[in-house]
Amino acid sequence: MSESKFETVSSCVDNFQHNENAFDEILNDEHLSTTWDRYHLIGDVLRNDIPDILQLDLSSEIANAIADEPTILAPKANNIFVLKLKAKVVEFAKPFGQLAIAASAAGLMVLGVQSNVAQNNETILPSQIVQTIPMAGIAEPVSLNFQQPDIASQKQAFIEQQRRFHALLSDHKQQIKLGSLAANLNETNNQSETSNIDNTKANKSNK
Amino acid sequence: MKLLSYVVLLLSISLSAVAEESEPAKVWLERLSSSLNKLNFSTSFVVVKNNQAQPYHWFHGVDENGKELEILSLLNGPRRDILRKDNVVSYIEPELPPYSVTSQKISGPIPAILAGDISQLEKIYDFISVGRSRILGRPAQLIRIEPKNAHRYAYWLWLDQQSSMLLKLSIVTKQGQQLEQIQFTHLDITDKPSESVLQLHETELPMLVDIPEEYQQQELQWDVNWLPEGFKQVNSNRHKISLTKQPVEFVLFSDGLVDISIYVNASKEKQRNADFAMEGATLVLNQVNDGIEVSVVGKIPSKTAKTIADSIIIKPPKAP
Repeated sequence: MSESKFETVSSCVDNFQHNENAFDEILNDEHLSTTWDRYHLIGDVLRNDIPDILQLDLSSEIANAIADEPTILAPKANNIFVLKLKAKVVEFAKPFGQLAIAASAAGLMVLGVQSNVAQNNETILPSQIVQTIPMAGIAEPVSLNFQQPDIASQKQAFIEQQRRFHALLSDHKQQIKLGSLAANLNETNNQSETSNIDNTKANKSNK
Repeated sequence: MKLLSYVVLLLSISLSAVAEESEPAKVWLERLSSSLNKLNFSTSFVVVKNNQAQPYHWFHGVDENGKELEILSLLNGPRRDILRKDNVVSYIEPELPPYSVTSQKISGPIPAILAGDISQLEKIYDFISVGRSRILGRPAQLIRIEPKNAHRYAYWLWLDQQSSMLLKLSIVTKQGQQLEQIQFTHLDITDKPSESVLQLHETELPMLVDIPEEYQQQELQWDVNWLPEGFKQVNSNRHKISLTKQPVEFVLFSDGLVDISIYVNASKEKQRNADFAMEGATLVLNQVNDGIEVSVVGKIPSKTAKTIADSIIIKPPKAP
């Protein structure tokens, strides 16, 4: 067996050989066709395409399967119909979800404005301060009503988790800033049994 | 006999060395605290976390009336400035409208306690004076604040031999891995407060936020059964997380140097394994157990955070 024949097989495997005769030659020669099998297997392994259970002699299996396959007459059209239907459902669901979220966000904003106006004369509570415009890139709505257990939803869960981490981290920093007041109070409480902010202020200005 | 006298001599030398080394560590930290409060300085430093560097400018001065003025600003990205006039601290951040709180310390990347009373850390940390090195072109003294147990990180400080100012700070794990670093890149100490600090006199600070004390000390539906020794409750309240609008029950603990936030809320999910992320030394842990979501945030090792999260129990509802 010459080296050039193996090269022909290799280029056939890689789709570089367009000579019809080369394929015929491989098909007719048993040694070359096993080489053909082997090269494909190597390619699959390299591309990480092999199934969990490796069946080395696939060609005969496939040949049998093709022989056993009944002739399909009509159901194809039905399949396409179902596919179309599904695609439409997805298209509809997304804008609706986004609209709903946008609407609720708008609602929140309206509510926020109203409560701000209403309580103008009262002291500002931290819960009010903390309501803010979300930073760009994070506010994207991520929860649709349906979830499929596939890669997309895993990715979704990952994004959700990152968002959660980010939110917790920034809230933690925020609370430390607000919490330092209480820490001051506690410190002065320990020194003298006073718990009044005015007293604390007086203490500080005396220092 | 001769050998014994040698041993005694050696022992006395090493003992005196220990005494000399351990005594100054606290003195160094006290000098740092007074420098941070009394000196007029303009500095720049870089905070390095997760392979990212954040540059800051930091100005501090004391005016003729003895009032402290301070500006800390982040130089990259959206503006984040912290201004302080004596006991009013203002935060200017992209997330919130500007606000001020009554406080004597600013809450930035440098632990506020370093400018405060360091002796409150003595129960839970050891202060160790380690040696000299060269930082920012100056001779520096390395002081380690080492936790007495493995539930916390160590803080290593490099202080200027001359002015006792901070030149470098590292947050280090028990294994010696550096998680977060603050490296000063410029230090200017002047007799008089700088122009930029004095401009604060003309600046009108944003509105003071008055937080009622009751808001900070609310009774919550759960208890934390385990915390590392030395943590005290600073704040407990119910609020909404600003970015996700998630209502939570919240408690903030502090040991003076480290802050731990604990968030508890009901979750739509029944069960989710603990997952965590780190920003520098700050850990965020989040898990769902029996439909209760628990999150722990703070500069603590993941094992500590997990133990805290697992120790939370929901109080049985009170009988009417």
